[in-house]
Amino acid sequence: MIANVLDGIVFGIQLGLWAAGLTLVYGLGGVLNLAHGQIAVISAVALAFGMDAGLPVLPAAGLALLVGGVVGLFLDLTILRPVYRLQGEARVLLSLLLTLGVAFIVDGFLNWRYPGRSLSLFIGGGAIEILGVPMRRGSLLASAITLVAFAALFSFFRFTALGRAVRSVIEDEEGARLVGIDPARMLRLILVLSGVLAALVAVTRSMVVSVDVQAGFGITVLALIVTVVGGLGSVSGALLAGIILGIVNVIAADVIGTFMSLVILLLAAAVTILMRPSGLLGVEE
Amino acid sequence: MSERGTAGAAWTRAARSVRTLSIPVVAVGAVLAVVPLWLDHSGVLMGVAVLGLAFACYAIGFNVIFGSTGQLFLCVGALAGIGGYGGAILADTVGLPVVVSILLATLVSCVTGGLLSLIAVRRSLGVIFTGIITLIFTLTFDALLLGLGSLTGGENGFLIESGADSFIRRRIPPYYVMLVLALVFLVVHGLLRRSHVGWAWRALRDDELAAELAGVDVARYRIYGALVGAAMLGLAGATYAFTEGRISPTTFGFAQVDVVVIVMLAFGGIGTLFGPILGAVTFTIVDEVLIEFGQLRLVVYGALVLLLFLFLARGVIPTARDVVTKRRVSQASAAPD
Amino acid sequence: MLEVTGLAAGYEGNDVVEDVSFHVDPGEAVMIIGSNGAGKTTLFRSVVGLLAPSSGEVRYEGAGITGVPAQRIVRLGISFVPAERRLFPRMTVQENLALGAYPGRPDPGTTELVMDLFPRLAERRRQRAGTMSGGEQQMLAVGRALMADPRLIVLDEPTTGLAPKLAAEAYEALSALRDRGLTVLVAEQQVPLAMAFSDRGYVLENGRIRTQGTSAELADDPDVRRAYLGIT
Repeated sequence: MIANVLDGIVFGIQLGLWAAGLTLVYGLGGVLNLAHGQIAVISAVALAFGMDAGLPVLPAAGLALLVGGVVGLFLDLTILRPVYRLQGEARVLLSLLLTLGVAFIVDGFLNWRYPGRSLSLFIGGGAIEILGVPMRRGSLLASAITLVAFAALFSFFRFTALGRAVRSVIEDEEGARLVGIDPARMLRLILVLSGVLAALVAVTRSMVVSVDVQAGFGITVLALIVTVVGGLGSVSGALLAGIILGIVNVIAADVIGTFMSLVILLLAAAVTILMRPSGLLGVEE
Repeated sequence: MSERGTAGAAWTRAARSVRTLSIPVVAVGAVLAVVPLWLDHSGVLMGVAVLGLAFACYAIGFNVIFGSTGQLFLCVGALAGIGGYGGAILADTVGLPVVVSILLATLVSCVTGGLLSLIAVRRSLGVIFTGIITLIFTLTFDALLLGLGSLTGGENGFLIESGADSFIRRRIPPYYVMLVLALVFLVVHGLLRRSHVGWAWRALRDDELAAELAGVDVARYRIYGALVGAAMLGLAGATYAFTEGRISPTTFGFAQVDVVVIVMLAFGGIGTLFGPILGAVTFTIVDEVLIEFGQLRLVVYGALVLLLFLFLARGVIPTARDVVTKRRVSQASAAPD
Repeated sequence: MLEVTGLAAGYEGNDVVEDVSFHVDPGEAVMIIGSNGAGKTTLFRSVVGLLAPSSGEVRYEGAGITGVPAQRIVRLGISFVPAERRLFPRMTVQENLALGAYPGRPDPGTTELVMDLFPRLAERRRQRAGTMSGGEQQMLAVGRALMADPRLIVLDEPTTGLAPKLAAEAYEALSALRDRGLTVLVAEQQVPLAMAFSDRGYVLENGRIRTQGTSAELADDPDVRRAYLGIT
């Protein structure tokens, strides 16, 4: 049981990280970025190339994060421009369709140019025991990195003026404008940040399993579900939802069997959304 | 006014709707009916054409749900899949006659759609939440298809034996079966739009709160939309499955069906009567043309989607209508009085 | 200080206010009174850059600021307190105030001034804005606007939803600010309070300025007395 819970937490904080970038972009700008998973995959490819070119792991990972951020910035500067001119439902819908187009292009290109390419950063060495449960080094390192990333995110939002400014736009865009904050610039910042987070997904994920060029949509869909369960725009909600769904998933896999575990995870998500449409830590409207 | 008088008036009105509706529907039907004349040399191309019509049916069903009532059902493939898998299993495994199987599977699909809508309405889920709940339904359906391999054939799917020696497996008839289905769907949607149901749909799309205040039972009309749309999806999915003779999870997959249907409908014009047909025909042709690009097909498809929505965000039919109206207005104002 | 000439603004092509001209001199307190739906909010939103005017001109300290977005206008020294307050409900009082000084750090002197003016806010520094009462939220909205150290503060119906006693207190606070040299422009439905507070006023009816004058003149105007002061 303890083993299941630990495994679930390890998977769950990963899920939380997948959703963090997505939830911020949606909460701040009403933009649903369906190419989120593809940003992760592009970054994974960049990392794989960096290492092929002889870069040590850390600089290569830095390169991947940079690439993720640049892709986010690129989306903001190009295809999201017309989205920003719309409001409400039309805005969400157009952002969804345009980023879907981007996702197709990325998937199609990568599969054509680098079919079967995948990234894995296997961390060697034996397992480490935690609470009497042997855990793989790769999983632990990935979890540690993810938790540090979350701590950094939380501190940014809580303790810096810029982070508070971002939160203010999520809470009340007009109020933010009235104190002199430009929502468009905050959104650009968050798109870059979400790109970096997507790249971090690729880096940490590849320590546990290999990330192949077709992984994008899978990442996006699960991230979307975690985002909604956690509450749109809430990073802590994303982490909480990720951990809960992660534990549910692992326990269900153990008790009922692998294929049903996904069904159980989905049902758990559905039930949460139906009980609390604003998400675990979302704002009640 | 006597009761007979109003009944008579309603009757005349209905007759007039049928007449004004029948002209464009017959025109669309006539154009599409001649397609086999120059494709019948190729079984592959006829297959593409049949699939295109199936997509037209899906797009109409989705349009009834999303375009008319604003419920983003991201389970088009799953509802069609309930029809397809349900029909096939009922016919092959249970041994029911094909037509009965199709109708039963359609009923299941219809009820499922209604239930999803009931949940969304009861919990007053917005567009995004309805989308997510139905997406979760789709993923669950997919997981079940893979998991219940003994019934569904798992990843490979299965060959449908029932009806294998009948006319619906020949080269040409499936095309006309699907065409009739698409035209019937169009007429049903058109008539609904002209009835009090359509009036309520427009009201709730315009301003939900105002509609509610005006006494429109918004919840009820949303569920009507989902029931009708889901029945269309189930019927189309089941019929397509029997004409194809082979189904697998990708026949009704999210990436293969839902994504394509959304693109088609958004291209043609969400909420317009003929948008789904226009979108389905266009993207079926586009998809065929793109085969030349080989492996880059997906890239070109994505680029096309991007360009279309960057420059034609509202879809072809609404944009064209705007252009025509503007020209008329400017002509009217330019004309001497 | 602020000069508005021939301003027209509205939504979706329908102008709600038309041909509105008024001015506010340094150190003045000016009110714009009018009934519900007269266009006060639309007028203010277009002055402070939340809504692009369809025609007309807004000048501030001699420079044209027509159509400049709100986030830039606040940096020029005009703070706007909307009727809906637009606080950040899940942030603490302190965080809301700190954001008022964005992008700079909150100035200790200004913070002290706000706390002196509204001791309630000092008591509730760590409380979330969304959980406070209407009166406290209004104090916070004014406090947040002051943190930007404005020269002109524009308030849209600051007494909305406040009990009479609290409404009177709100105007006492505004008077204190005026005494410190802050220029105030206020839109109000509760005319007696605003009239006692301001030097001059404009009456907005159906989107147009109907009459104007010093507060004393307006108080003597029979139409104003009948329509806004309830005196026949």
